[in-house]
Amino acid sequence: MATAYVLLAGSSRRLVAELRDALDSCAERQRQLERSLRVCRRLLRAWEPAETLAPELTPGPETNEEAPSAACIPSPQDLKELELLTQALEKAVRVRKGISKAGEGDKAPSLKSGSIATSPATRASAPPSTSRRAGSRALETKPPRGIRQTRVPVKDLPERRLLSVGDQACMGQGAGATKPESGLRNEQIVLSAASQAPEAFTLKDKGILLQLPEAFRKAASWNSRLWAQLSSTQTSDSVDAVTTAKMQFLQKMQTTSGWPGSRLSATEVEAEVRHLQKACLLLRLRMGEELTADPKDWMQEYRCLLTLEELQAIMGQCLRRLRELCTAVVEQQLGPWPEGRFPRASLPCGGGADPIWSPQLLLYSSTQELQTLAALRLRVAMLHQQIHLEKVLMAELLPLVSKQEPLGPPWLALCRAVHSLLCEGGQHFLTILREDKPAD
Amino acid sequence: MGRRRRRRRVDPADAARALPEAIAALSQMLPAGPSPETFRRAKFDRPEAAPALWRLLFRVLSPQLADGASASFSLEAQVRSVKLALRTQGYPRRALAQLPDDGSQGGRELLLALAWLLARGPLPERLLTQNRVQLGDEMPVCECEALASPGPPAPSVEADGCVDIRHLQWLMGKLRFRWRNLMASQQEQCALLGKIHSYTRGCHSDRSLGHLSVTETELLRDPEGGRQLLRRLERENARLQAALQWRCRELVFWRWMDTVLGACPPEASQPTFLPRIPTPGAGELETLVRELQALQGELREAVEARRAAWEAGVRGRGPEWSAARTALREAVGRDLAALRRVCERGGGRSLAQLHGPHRLVRTEAGAPGGPGLRAPEVIEALRSREAHLEVVLRQLQGQCGQELARLVGAPPGPVWILPPGR
Repeated sequence: MATAYVLLAGSSRRLVAELRDALDSCAERQRQLERSLRVCRRLLRAWEPAETLAPELTPGPETNEEAPSAACIPSPQDLKELELLTQALEKAVRVRKGISKAGEGDKAPSLKSGSIATSPATRASAPPSTSRRAGSRALETKPPRGIRQTRVPVKDLPERRLLSVGDQACMGQGAGATKPESGLRNEQIVLSAASQAPEAFTLKDKGILLQLPEAFRKAASWNSRLWAQLSSTQTSDSVDAVTTAKMQFLQKMQTTSGWPGSRLSATEVEAEVRHLQKACLLLRLRMGEELTADPKDWMQEYRCLLTLEELQAIMGQCLRRLRELCTAVVEQQLGPWPEGRFPRASLPCGGGADPIWSPQLLLYSSTQELQTLAALRLRVAMLHQQIHLEKVLMAELLPLVSKQEPLGPPWLALCRAVHSLLCEGGQHFLTILREDKPAD
Repeated sequence: MGRRRRRRRVDPADAARALPEAIAALSQMLPAGPSPETFRRAKFDRPEAAPALWRLLFRVLSPQLADGASASFSLEAQVRSVKLALRTQGYPRRALAQLPDDGSQGGRELLLALAWLLARGPLPERLLTQNRVQLGDEMPVCECEALASPGPPAPSVEADGCVDIRHLQWLMGKLRFRWRNLMASQQEQCALLGKIHSYTRGCHSDRSLGHLSVTETELLRDPEGGRQLLRRLERENARLQAALQWRCRELVFWRWMDTVLGACPPEASQPTFLPRIPTPGAGELETLVRELQALQGELREAVEARRAAWEAGVRGRGPEWSAARTALREAVGRDLAALRRVCERGGGRSLAQLHGPHRLVRTEAGAPGGPGLRAPEVIEALRSREAHLEVVLRQLQGQCGQELARLVGAPPGPVWILPPGR
């Protein structure tokens, strides 16, 4: 019984490979989604304040672009002191805000003694800063000014701290210590850190208060302007001159290469095949539409006929093109190149006609709408995959069934399995009734 | 017509500066671009230029690798990989294949290879697009990378041996299960996105966007990550500027490359016959030919039947008839013009379809809104696409059913009872 289920090695390899491909691409998509989900879930929970501090203490791994502070690694004691310092600075910021709100003058001297020695992380006074921010969202100048006032006196503190740390005041220390300071300059980040507790920050309640840092805003708007510039089409003399120069260069390369004529590269063949696959699907769809249409009068009937004939002509063209490709592939000659196949690079979107991305928007108005959109995209992708698998299965399994003649139970079992795979997507099974010959 | 650029007399100092500026722009625009000095050395085929250029080519030809990943490949591995990639793309010169694998020679040849790649397509722009910093929550509106293939096919675990059809059924079931999971995860993600977008409305400095994206919110939550993002953004800005610079200076570079090519000795023509390249698409090519042939056969039958029916039917012949016929022919021609263009050689853009990832922006329903696609339109397009594809799938399944019924044979063979709901 079991033997009938077994497939030939050749076709099974291909089938299994295709199915595994499909499974792998699903898995990859799932991984990406889960990564994104993790980030989103974390954002919607209460934001942890500790996380915002820790990275500032140690120089990050990407410091190869900044001045290398590799020589000195801050010792644990220094790290602890740095942490205390950072907390003190934050408290100083809050105190300063509270003070400047009340309209009083500098209190720098008083900060020196008190906060540094006292330990930690009391982050009180969340409300004043948040309400201040909420109120002043319209007047954006106020918060920065408030911070800049604190910056100057507070600057003394790290330097004093450094001197008293001792002989380990090297570059690394300096770099590490300035980080909390630069963090201060980044007003919003500190404010959001400061305003976090005792009530933790949640996006739901206080999301509206967020504001992007200035440096980032500038970089982002410049970025989208540059992209827009880059993707705008240019029409000018110089562009034509460049294109001509490129063509000439390619020609010369070809003629000096000693290889005859222009041959199709493997990449080009692949690209053509994919393109023709899409064309085939479109033709099939259009053909289906016309065949199922119900002409109401003779004009429509004739039009339908003409359309079908035109489709036939187009199909003929595609086939001719395919046959050309086949012969070209057969005639390819190999040079002293290494064997093997380079991993297939993903084709640029839209067939490569316009590979430059430009900033574009997709507007939606409700979560429901977004979900529908995403679900439909997935469904369409899934249908593409199912159609591809169906074609592969058809090509491999139908010949199998036709090869095996005897109508015994094993063969019927195979038919049933093949039917389920091909016609029901593997979901349903049919029942086979058989008239049994009496007692044999 | 735009105004013509006034032809200024070229200042020799200007001309002398133009080439180094062009090369500087080029090397900044490309990832892992070597210094302009390397390019100059390469022209004179100095050996010290070779490794840097091998590495550059490797990076350029393998865009799927992350920024730091290429360091994990040895120079020799990179050299072999570059040779393979260039051959796959049809690089015409044999001299490159003959360069030693240790990457110690061949600066000039590599420079030619780089120029060849640049001449063939908008390579730097494509690289920039592929590796760009995504600031928004993006969703593609096309199906181009529907389910991106996961790279080189993993060597099959069960290389030999036959496979049970029940294993195939099991794999199909597993696939269906993964799809269901995907759908559920996707729905959840959309819900979370919707929340984040609505909680941060009004926060963005750019009024047309209105709210923050996940990336932007994340940078506020995690300042360290935010700093990294900012650095990446700044790096990208520098490269984009270099790309714009390059566009102005490109012509000078091509003139220079002509001289480089001129300095190379010409290759002797190679008449020997050599074994066939196993083209990756060969199997797919044959499948496609078979499929298209089958489709053509179907269509031919249908057309012949209809044409016969038409000829047989009695229709008035007269002047108005031929006029109507011409008009109909033209109308059909126009109808199918777009389809014809797609099927013709070279492809080009798909049928008037929008492409590329779009940034998701939540707006109030009914707000006039600025430029940008509206979700309902995209949903409409997707629904019709879905309907079409379902039709195709049903057709294929129907064909299979008929074929199987034929193979099993008519009664008194076994009776097939199809599952309910069919």
